[in-house]
Amino acid sequence: MDLVHAFLNLVPVTLSQSLIYAFVALGIMIPFRLLSFPDLTSEGAFPLGGCVCAAFLLAGYTPLLATVAGALTGVVAGAATALIHLRFRINPLLSGILVFTGLYSVNMRVLGRSNVALFGADNIFAQINPDILTNVGLQIVTFAIILGAAFLALRWYLMTQSGAAMRVIGINPELAPSLGINPWTYTVAGLGIASGLTALGGSLVVQLQGYADVGMGTGILINGLASLVIGETLTGRGTVLRQLLAPVVGAIAYYQLLSLALSLGLQPSDLKIATAALVLITLGLPLARAQGTMRETMRA
Amino acid sequence: MDPQVKDDAVRAPGGVPLLICKGLTKTFNAGQATARPALNGLDLTVDRGDFIVVIGSNGAGKSTLLNMIAGAIEPDSGRLTLDGRDITRLPAHRRAGMIARVFQDPMIGTAAAMTIEENLALAERRGKGHGLGFNLTAGNRGRYRELLAGLALGMENRLSTPVAQLSGGQRQALSLIMASLSKPKLLLLDEHTAALDPRTADLVMAMTRRLVAEQALTTLMVTHNMRQAIETGNRLVMMDAGRVRDDIHGAEKTSLTPADLVDKFKIENDRMLLGS
Repeated sequence: MDLVHAFLNLVPVTLSQSLIYAFVALGIMIPFRLLSFPDLTSEGAFPLGGCVCAAFLLAGYTPLLATVAGALTGVVAGAATALIHLRFRINPLLSGILVFTGLYSVNMRVLGRSNVALFGADNIFAQINPDILTNVGLQIVTFAIILGAAFLALRWYLMTQSGAAMRVIGINPELAPSLGINPWTYTVAGLGIASGLTALGGSLVVQLQGYADVGMGTGILINGLASLVIGETLTGRGTVLRQLLAPVVGAIAYYQLLSLALSLGLQPSDLKIATAALVLITLGLPLARAQGTMRETMRA
Repeated sequence: MDPQVKDDAVRAPGGVPLLICKGLTKTFNAGQATARPALNGLDLTVDRGDFIVVIGSNGAGKSTLLNMIAGAIEPDSGRLTLDGRDITRLPAHRRAGMIARVFQDPMIGTAAAMTIEENLALAERRGKGHGLGFNLTAGNRGRYRELLAGLALGMENRLSTPVAQLSGGQRQALSLIMASLSKPKLLLLDEHTAALDPRTADLVMAMTRRLVAEQALTTLMVTHNMRQAIETGNRLVMMDAGRVRDDIHGAEKTSLTPADLVDKFKIENDRMLLGS
């Protein structure tokens, strides 16, 4: 019973956290699902957003400016990955690895050392309402509103001609140019928006936790991917709305699962392999099932 | 040139040809052991209102020519002029407003995961740019419903069906409608019925003739089907080794028989004979 209580007590805090990590999951869904571009930039864009935001805050800039600056550097990182792939025809995975590897050095330079505390510095939540940092209920409402705004903006964009054109890049890249769609523009913009969202997540996390760490990106990609695939099994991917809901619903579910696993006594370091196994099972199961059906058909 | 098949009304003032291909060359894998010349100084002039059927054996350069006109392949040398404008180095997506194409593979010509109406809306914005207006509106939906109803393909009540659920023939028909929707100056058809069963191929071909005639579209069609080559178009261009070997038009084209074709070109290509 203690385990159950421990878990239930954590539910609100975990929910609050997951609403911020939903930005990262959205930032992973856009390239992976809408652009068919397996983009790993988030591993570097998330700490980049956090470190840039922290540096701006420590330098005395307003929290809003610091947050926007964090998000914008993410846009640049995503665009860089896209351009490396397009210009030099380097594999998308490798392009992302090059960028996030390089970003580690950038983050170190930006922060000046491997981690800094933000005590004393202003932050965007304290500015909105000082109680947010201590009141979990208020946190959940605030994060839900920010996330909801980003969600609605994406939803609107994907309903426009431009948003539809972006989807064509992922669905049928050969068709795109013949419809007058410039693959470069949309790949750069799409990856830019995606990493911008991830970096925004980094900026918000740093301000919520009150410290920044260059290592904060480690494993963020696989967490986001796990959120995405869990979300997709819950919402499906049949429509744009479902595809857009998947990372949000998935992030909420995934972080509750993590919290449950911790309550059950798993070590935080065990969670990485648990997450990797989860992604593997979710992605691999449909194929394994299809092959099983095929074998049965052949036997019959 | 034969005046009887061309409508003078669709010609530009002064009779400037719509498309001029001058000395186009292309060698794939140049400098390597696998080097293969695809186009070898090709010259071709397309007049407004022309419906040109392009035939030739495998490797004659037909698809390379179409890809080059569409902008998917850059020539090693030579020049492409469309409507008096040099488009030799213009990227494919910037030619799309002037040149539309239907691919051989029904999978390529449409976006499978999107609905019929989404595909049509995207095609309608070809060359006009895809902006921040809604892709689907009550207005364009109504228009697409009407358009499809007029074609009697049974697609008018399935506007919100993903294209993936359509048959190959329906997808090619849709691809053809999409290509003609933005009123292109030039329509490119790359063996667009080759992947279809004979009956469906005939239906798509009949629809092609109707659309081309109704909209007076200048068209370049590659085919391996001899019957199509004879029955369709006002000009027949035979390609060989990356050049135009013969250009039949006017009365000679009208009275062409399969025997003439075989005789004229000494066609030894099995695929072409089987198609006749």
